[in-house]
Amino acid sequence: MREPPILDAQSIRADFPILQRRVGDKPLIYFDNAATTHKPRQVLRTIETFYTTYNANVHRSPHTLGLEATELYEQAHENVARFIGAADAREIVFVRNSTEAINLVAYSLLSGENERLRLQEGDQVVVTVMEHHSDLVPWQRVCAQAGATLKVIDIRDDGTLDMEQLSAALTERTRLVCCAHGSNVLGTINPVQEIGRLAHQAGALFLVDGAQSVPHMPVDVKQIGCDFLAFSGHKMLAPMDIGVLYGKRELLQEMSPFLYGGEMVADVTLTGATWKEPPWKFEAGTANVCGGIALGGATDLRTGQHLEGAVDYLERISMAQVRAHERALTRHALQGLRDMERVRVYGPLDADRRGGILAFAVEGSDAHLVAHLLNDEGIAVRAGGLCAYPLADRLGVAGTVRASFYIYNTEDEVDRFLEVLEDIVRCRLL
Amino acid sequence: MYSHEVLEHFLHPRHVGTIEDPSGFGQAGGGERCPDDLAYIWIRVADGRIVEIRHKTLGCPVAIAASSVTCEMALGKTLAEALAITPEAVIAALGGVPERKANSTVAPKALRAAIMQALDRNGQAEQQDASTD
Repeated sequence: MREPPILDAQSIRADFPILQRRVGDKPLIYFDNAATTHKPRQVLRTIETFYTTYNANVHRSPHTLGLEATELYEQAHENVARFIGAADAREIVFVRNSTEAINLVAYSLLSGENERLRLQEGDQVVVTVMEHHSDLVPWQRVCAQAGATLKVIDIRDDGTLDMEQLSAALTERTRLVCCAHGSNVLGTINPVQEIGRLAHQAGALFLVDGAQSVPHMPVDVKQIGCDFLAFSGHKMLAPMDIGVLYGKRELLQEMSPFLYGGEMVADVTLTGATWKEPPWKFEAGTANVCGGIALGGATDLRTGQHLEGAVDYLERISMAQVRAHERALTRHALQGLRDMERVRVYGPLDADRRGGILAFAVEGSDAHLVAHLLNDEGIAVRAGGLCAYPLADRLGVAGTVRASFYIYNTEDEVDRFLEVLEDIVRCRLL
Repeated sequence: MYSHEVLEHFLHPRHVGTIEDPSGFGQAGGGERCPDDLAYIWIRVADGRIVEIRHKTLGCPVAIAASSVTCEMALGKTLAEALAITPEAVIAALGGVPERKANSTVAPKALRAAIMQALDRNGQAEQQDASTD
């Protein structure tokens, strides 16, 4: 039986021009939202307004445009801080994406001037086997360079994290625990509050990779109790090349910069330099000012209207509604996939315990070929190792097909996807 | 995504079949990473050149397309030239393959085995010829 719609996906769809396009002669069904999402008119309008009205470099140009661009950019930091429940904008560093956010923490801990925040030989960093490469490879490199060990926590057969193993792995040498809030393959939503509690109990810092959670559910850094949270704007309606590192203020204060150069300095002589206060000491060089404003939103200083950012758009819907909508689509899709012969779904089979990400394999078939055949019908999915090769190896699968949902997807689209997939599995892969 | 070339050769593989009484035969598998990929290649050699080549390939689209392209590349070449056909060259001819699919390009290894067998047989035949002289 169909559940009543939680949000008005049809009116949301009208805000996304790209959803009108066709793939060949088929309407586009976009189920690759875990890779990137589309952008609503409101955000596109903000981008246009920035470049037609406010374009200037921030924090340096002493003219009207420069001052106005700076004000908008700082407002965007404040709005993002509010969106994730941070204490204030000084805890919000704009970066390119989650990968850069995590690299920032990793390299800062590697080269920290402050011994308390520098990885030492014999220290331990803990990650999980379900990490995206962006939260694994930086730690492999940095641990190797620091002489620290990297401990990887396994999953249970149901695709959830082995909390007992995690608990047992934490020692007095554990400096940092890093964990995806939502797995980009299994969809698993990890109990980050509990993981954070264990990490802090052991005296370790706790970093959450929020790339697959912040766009999809209410996320509050104070509630989680994390020290760092990384996420990407492009996976939540903002343009590519803008991401966020949240860091507790006292940590950002003490941490060393990751990138050095223009704009992040308080003073420079020929023999040295001092740094600005956070977040600016971490935003070296010219930032993606427009991207930041398109993510966080700001007031149009000339009209008094609001220049809508991605977080404004999502807050207007409410993140609880976003989560409820995706959970309903996921439940519906899970049911259909589970009923299909030769199809194996990975991750928890309970929609309450997972996000709107469904990775599956078709027995005896190749993931890329299934994706290609779906594309022939206008259905966009991802296929392969999904930037989490060790997890694919752990699952014993060469690659999976991944369908991932967002606010503009509908139950009708899920039905069409299931119908096409069933046809592919039954008739076209023999 | 698969390139146009991978799909074209996967959907319409060239040189599929076997050769009776071949000059050489070779087979190769994808190993641990691609255990389902397996290529058999038969060649007929005349005057030091591959004048006929056939394959039968089990596996993913990359394995099948790679066998098809390898056969196209090898046909008409001298054995020395054909030995120089690398998986990298085949992947380039396929317009690239998706992440972690390079090991599915098993055909060059099977071709190499077929060429080695042909050379081996040829050497034995020459030895036999020499002993009967």
